[in-house]
Amino acid sequence: MMLGQGPDIGEMVLHHTADAWTIDLEPITTIHLPRWADIHIGGMTLNLSPTKHVVYLIFAAALVFLTMWLAGRSLRRQRAGEKSPKGFAAAMEGVVLFVRNDIAIANIGADGAKFAPFVMALFFFVLYANLLGLLPWGASPTGNLAVTAALAILVFLTVEIAGMTKLGFKGYMGTIFPHAPGMHGPAAVGFSLFMAPIEILGKLVKPFALAVRLFGNMTAGHFVILSLFGIIFLFGDIKGWNWAIGGVTALLVVGIMMLELIVAFLQAYVFALLSAVFIGLMQHEH
Amino acid sequence: MYSVLLASSEGAAGAPMSPFEVNTGLIFWTWLVFIALYFLLKKYAWPAILTVTVQREETIRRQLEEAEQAHAKAAALLAEQQKLLGESRTQAQSILAEAKSASDRERAAAVLKTREEQDQLLARARREIAAEGEKARQELRREAVDLSLAAASKLIGERLSSDADKKIVLDYLSTLESSH
Repeated sequence: MMLGQGPDIGEMVLHHTADAWTIDLEPITTIHLPRWADIHIGGMTLNLSPTKHVVYLIFAAALVFLTMWLAGRSLRRQRAGEKSPKGFAAAMEGVVLFVRNDIAIANIGADGAKFAPFVMALFFFVLYANLLGLLPWGASPTGNLAVTAALAILVFLTVEIAGMTKLGFKGYMGTIFPHAPGMHGPAAVGFSLFMAPIEILGKLVKPFALAVRLFGNMTAGHFVILSLFGIIFLFGDIKGWNWAIGGVTALLVVGIMMLELIVAFLQAYVFALLSAVFIGLMQHEH
Repeated sequence: MYSVLLASSEGAAGAPMSPFEVNTGLIFWTWLVFIALYFLLKKYAWPAILTVTVQREETIRRQLEEAEQAHAKAAALLAEQQKLLGESRTQAQSILAEAKSASDRERAAAVLKTREEQDQLLARARREIAAEGEKARQELRREAVDLSLAAASKLIGERLSSDADKKIVLDYLSTLESSH
């Protein structure tokens, strides 16, 4: 009844979570991003025009770099002055060390320090991208399947290439064609061939789950917040109740925002942790 | 509802967009941005933040290694000492045994020498006694010759003192001696 007359909440929700060729800074301005021509590579059509999420990706990356660079600089200065680190820099050092030691090295093992920069970059990049969606006018690039898929593909390539260099070609093929202990002859070969599709599927499912988990968590949170805001637009014109509806909705949204804040950290942690675990699993495969 | 999911949210600018759509261009953008961030952080940020921790880890690792080396060295030294101690002990024992055997040998030699000397002394004494005895016997014999001659001269009343007489007696005595 109301849906037909009022604004289209579904359209509104999708509009705010989807990528776009513009950046809405309403009511101040709307920035129209440049459109570039499609590139055709073989049968593929590729359009590299920057979108809203590209801008926020760069924004997130720039913020991560700025944070870490400033923290590093102030740590260096504080140490040069023979003082122990304090304030913002000390806090960042603590978080960075947590990611390095307790996420990367703890799960990868002896070679953890080698992969730590990758895991740290993943954690902070995902975290900042998650948090950007909670800001006014903000958007979460990690609420876009293309972005999470791209990151997951990087994790996949890191896992497989690092596994290949660590295990050697023969050892790596062993992760695709597993050798069943105690089996010999044609039975063992048959078993290996039978298991190969399952092993390959297992390799692909891990990054797929990474991508979908992050995308789903971010998108779902935004859907909930935007849907709650939709209540205002749907029922806000009921005489005498409009203030109550506005207040209750705002309270609910604040609650969900708090939850989203936790989810932003949690999903960055989970993404980095699982990436480290996958790298570690492959490194210790025998 | 599905049509809503795939609906255009940006009509004027071009292609329709939905949260469930995968924009391949964005994948490349993500790779570009993330890889750039990775290298920038690796070059400019992480070293400054991690340097102290990495140094500390390095120091601890080195100290552990050094402690292990020192431990191995100490163990080797101890083994060496024990070997030397054992060697010197066996050496002392062999020296002691040698000394003991030498002293035994010395003593045996001394005893032997003493016995020889005693024997020599005894033999000399015996010889002297024998010589003395012989001398006494010859004296006695001479005395006996003189006495018998004196007695015989008394008996036949005539002095028998010629050498021929003496020879008769001596011959007699020698027959006595040989029969004796």
